[in-house]
Amino acid sequence: MKLCIDKADCVGNARCAAVAPELFPLDDDGYIAVSEIDVPPGSEELARRGAKACPERIIVIEE
Amino acid sequence: MAVQMSPLTEKPAHIGDQLVYDFDLFADPGILTAPHDRMLEIVAETPPVFWTPRNGGFWVMRGHAALFDAARDTETFSNDFVTPELAERVFAALPPDIGHIPSAVPINMDPPMHRVYRMPIQGVFSPKHINTLKDSIRDLAAQLIDEIEGQGECEFMNAVAEPLPVIVFLRMLGLPVERLAEYRELVRAHLADAGGGDPVASIVKAQHIVESMTPTILERKDNPQDDILSMLWGIEIDGQPVTLQDIQNYGLLLFIAGLDTVMNGIGHGVRFLAAHQDVQAELRANPEKISDATEELLRRFTFTVPVRRCTRDVEFYGAHIKANERVMMLLPAADLDPQEFKNPEKFDMAREERVHIAFNAGPHRCLGSHLARVELNILYEELLKRLPAFSIPEDKPPVFHGGHVLGVDTLHLKWSVS
Repeated sequence: MKLCIDKADCVGNARCAAVAPELFPLDDDGYIAVSEIDVPPGSEELARRGAKACPERIIVIEE
Repeated sequence: MAVQMSPLTEKPAHIGDQLVYDFDLFADPGILTAPHDRMLEIVAETPPVFWTPRNGGFWVMRGHAALFDAARDTETFSNDFVTPELAERVFAALPPDIGHIPSAVPINMDPPMHRVYRMPIQGVFSPKHINTLKDSIRDLAAQLIDEIEGQGECEFMNAVAEPLPVIVFLRMLGLPVERLAEYRELVRAHLADAGGGDPVASIVKAQHIVESMTPTILERKDNPQDDILSMLWGIEIDGQPVTLQDIQNYGLLLFIAGLDTVMNGIGHGVRFLAAHQDVQAELRANPEKISDATEELLRRFTFTVPVRRCTRDVEFYGAHIKANERVMMLLPAADLDPQEFKNPEKFDMAREERVHIAFNAGPHRCLGSHLARVELNILYEELLKRLPAFSIPEDKPPVFHGGHVLGVDTLHLKWSVS
């Protein structure tokens, strides 16, 4: 599973990282640090929940 | 407290009758007794965008989808809320010796300037930095609650909900905590006439807030401490060194936002817990559920109402909004919208639907949201750990106020003392 993130539209809610800090790295200002995430096997459910938690709806799941 | 409803304004011709609904954001009787019941009523009775003739007349956006889109369309819905008409009226009335007019930067700016001014203060409110404050926030919460525990009753706003976030914030900013009462009074006076009172008086009140901070700001320039006012002297804005007026502007925003928001969030959340013994019992037995409860309380009792100015004539969710008309973002109603949340009136910690917008959406997402979440979560944890089952005395119901913050004036609680 892969996550694509529209990084420029991140406003720093950091809700993804609140669900799964190890999956969603933040920069020092609290914005998402990456625009693509390869989800390790076994972490799919956490990734799904993290994506869903984004109030800006900018984390897209690509199976 | 007797609060007068504001007079009715004549409806502009371009607004259809079906979009008019009588709602006084500042003095609606329902808001003063049970604000979120009134929100549910509004959700049931109004279209997603409606117009109210109160407080000079303005649009109220209450639909979740409409608000989400408006928050992210900063070109149409501007945070620079001063209309040309208002600016002209204010400048005509200003005394010539008015001095520097403080401006709550960057909440009153639009992108791209908004980002230029926001980035320098983003790090200090990031999750990473806020997490370093958790222990001291918990110590303070424990101390405030332990002070009242033996009394068996208290007025909770005054005893805990106000001092906790306000002391945390004054410490972060670097302002003297012993002046808490004076600072709160300045904020109260400032917010009291945000409803469209005398704009010159509002400017003078903002100046009073800035004056109360300026000696500390100047002191920190020569003698920096580990606080935000000291940090601000080291920043650059668009490649230029920061000025005293820049810091005063930041100070005004942080002062207003920091001293009047979380306390009301705590008030709404604790009011709900006091009225629901089953929820208290469930959370005491399962403290790991408290962070989910914190989120659901934020959704169920969203309490801020930001303002925007429409920049162009636009058709928006069934309303024809004209350039320079004011729009209130009724976020408390958005988070009770059945189009977005199934059974929105129900408190449900296991809710799977989309997330709330209690901190708004788009680039103006609340800068202090991480601090607010940490404070709310810790307060609920310590309260449920340190107090036995608490409830609201029947003869002392809570009292609320309206405005840009749907707030709690008084919240009496009682509990058994062993």
